[in-house]
Amino acid sequence: MILELRDIHKSFGEKQVLTGVSFKAESGKAFGLLGRNGAGKTTTIRILMGVFPANSGEVLIDGAPIDYKKVGLGYLPEERGLYPKKKIIDQLIYFAELKGMRASDAVKSVDRWLERLDMDQYRDKRLDTLSKGNQQKIQLITALAHDPEIVILDEPFSGLDPVNAMLLKDVVKEEIQRGKIVLFSSHQMSYIEEFCDSIAIINKGVVAITGELHDIKREYPRDTLIVRSPDSRAITANVKGAGIDENGDVIIRLSSPEEKMGVLRELSEKYDIDEAKVFEPSLNDIFVQYAGD
Amino acid sequence: MGQFGKILKFELRGYLTNKVFVGVTIFLVVVLALVLFFPRAMDIIGGGDGDEPGTVEPGDRDVMLVSGGDEDVLAALAEAFPEYEVKPAGGDAQAAVTSGEAQCAIVMDGLGKFTYFVDNLSMYDTNAERAGEALTGVYRLSALRDAGLTEAEAAAIMSSQVSFEVRSLGVDQGENFFYTYIMIFALYMVILLYGQMVATNVATEKSSRAMELLVTSARPTSMMFGKVVASCIAGFAQIVCIFGSAIIFYNMNRAWWGDNPIIGLIFDMPPALLAYMLIFFVLGFFIYAFMFGAIGSTASKLEDINTSVMPVTLLFIAGFMVVVFGMTSGSVDNPLMIACSYIPFTSPMAMFTRIAMSHPAFYEIAISIVILVASCLGIGIVAAKIYRVGVLLYGGKPKLRDIIKAAKQA
Repeated sequence: MILELRDIHKSFGEKQVLTGVSFKAESGKAFGLLGRNGAGKTTTIRILMGVFPANSGEVLIDGAPIDYKKVGLGYLPEERGLYPKKKIIDQLIYFAELKGMRASDAVKSVDRWLERLDMDQYRDKRLDTLSKGNQQKIQLITALAHDPEIVILDEPFSGLDPVNAMLLKDVVKEEIQRGKIVLFSSHQMSYIEEFCDSIAIINKGVVAITGELHDIKREYPRDTLIVRSPDSRAITANVKGAGIDENGDVIIRLSSPEEKMGVLRELSEKYDIDEAKVFEPSLNDIFVQYAGD
Repeated sequence: MGQFGKILKFELRGYLTNKVFVGVTIFLVVVLALVLFFPRAMDIIGGGDGDEPGTVEPGDRDVMLVSGGDEDVLAALAEAFPEYEVKPAGGDAQAAVTSGEAQCAIVMDGLGKFTYFVDNLSMYDTNAERAGEALTGVYRLSALRDAGLTEAEAAAIMSSQVSFEVRSLGVDQGENFFYTYIMIFALYMVILLYGQMVATNVATEKSSRAMELLVTSARPTSMMFGKVVASCIAGFAQIVCIFGSAIIFYNMNRAWWGDNPIIGLIFDMPPALLAYMLIFFVLGFFIYAFMFGAIGSTASKLEDINTSVMPVTLLFIAGFMVVVFGMTSGSVDNPLMIACSYIPFTSPMAMFTRIAMSHPAFYEIAISIVILVASCLGIGIVAAKIYRVGVLLYGGKPKLRDIIKAAKQA
């Protein structure tokens, strides 16, 4: 299954929020939707979920307009919240039923997820008796219990302790392995890098860059070397374009990528080198470049 | 079961398991039980057997002492006050009343004047007027006899009377006033109470951010209609509980309330009027609940609800005031009431009052109901559109103009 947003435009009154947003996400892969606060991520997600229509553009599944009756969507919103005074099991079944499940199936699925997330002991408790992290796990069940084909997770790791973050990682990996389209929206770049094969960075309502993360990184010029060496001072004094970064590593900016092999040979002959590699930008670097002012 | 049914079930369950809802209903039923069983309980406490009261034995009756009156006076008062044991005062009648020996006393000051003594004068005590009427007869009879007429001639003059009868061709407003007022007031309370509950319910979902998930799980029309119908059923169930138990309790104690005309009038409501009550209750409730729901969706914080719903509350109170003034003035068919009985925001109360206390033509009632049904649907759809936009608006209080503009696009 391929989910595609094609040339989405959206304005609220005079304010243009999205301009020509397009990207594709595939089954069995995670897709990272990135952007600064107010960039248009939530509006994009709401249009994708059919909460409100776009002014123009299309949401397509395998090339045809999405049919919300046939394609299941699960959503973990960034702004968490359920019914604090109601029993957990009641509201989980309610949301699963609203998503089209039969009552008996909803009970089975919710119980299975409560057990999977180690929350079954809270089944009959009120939501407001749980810690923030546990409430988040309950909310995650509302996104997954009805077994949707597309799972949208907005900042899924915020507020989770390392143990629960690990549990959530496992769950997300399982969902990806089961062939789901998992759409991540997060500011925690390390998680995006860990899970997502493809990304889209939205800046001021426009997709600044989209594609396979690996390809995006490869598009950067490979004209910088990072060298770890006990002779870093000598290297910076003698090698053209060398400097030291904040980690104490030597950064050598080459005039062209072709110089790479010659410089590496020279370094290995003259200095004690622990490690040398071609610099590749992190997702954080890419994000700052495309989403920055 | 569609989304509407699921939302309805969830919301209704929320109401019926709400401790305040259940507590208030039980409390009101208990209060009604206490009030309506009160005369029976007093009878038992006072030494009665709790069985239905029959003929009052002389020994059980209250005592009315008569001082300074002759046999004619005593006979006239005994006839006028069968519920009292009327007897001549042996000593100081006033002291006897103060000590509780007698409930009241009539002290004659000549044949043309008397003083009525009673310990605490009830607002319903008409004994002085009744005694005055009886003693006026005695006084006039005596005067006629003194003027030379025989006993038979005087009695004939006194007994002659112009006969008359009252035939109301419509309804008796005096008779219907009490239950109409109670029904209108119940409608007023339920709409305000449950309308506010719908608004608060929506605002709570929004402020707790459960709305984020709801809007991606269900259609706004299903959400809006589900919530409103659930609150209508809950409100109606509460009314049925309260009024139903009142009717049962009254019928269980009818014999003890037999001589109370007001209570009797309240419970002698024609079934046709109950049917109209049901129609106007449901339609009126829907109109206001939709508006309250839409307003609730535009509030970002629970604290904003009271000020946000103020215009709708004032509109409803204004309608209620017009109807109550119409009722108390006796002119329920005045031009303002007629106009109000076609305006959907006031017609549930105004037309119901006119049906109960006047006789509007059937076509008038039908037009009013048709307008109300059409308005319900129209307001329901507009409210759902506002709801759809409103639930996603956070931050400052949105302007009405912005909401309308956004709703048009929705």
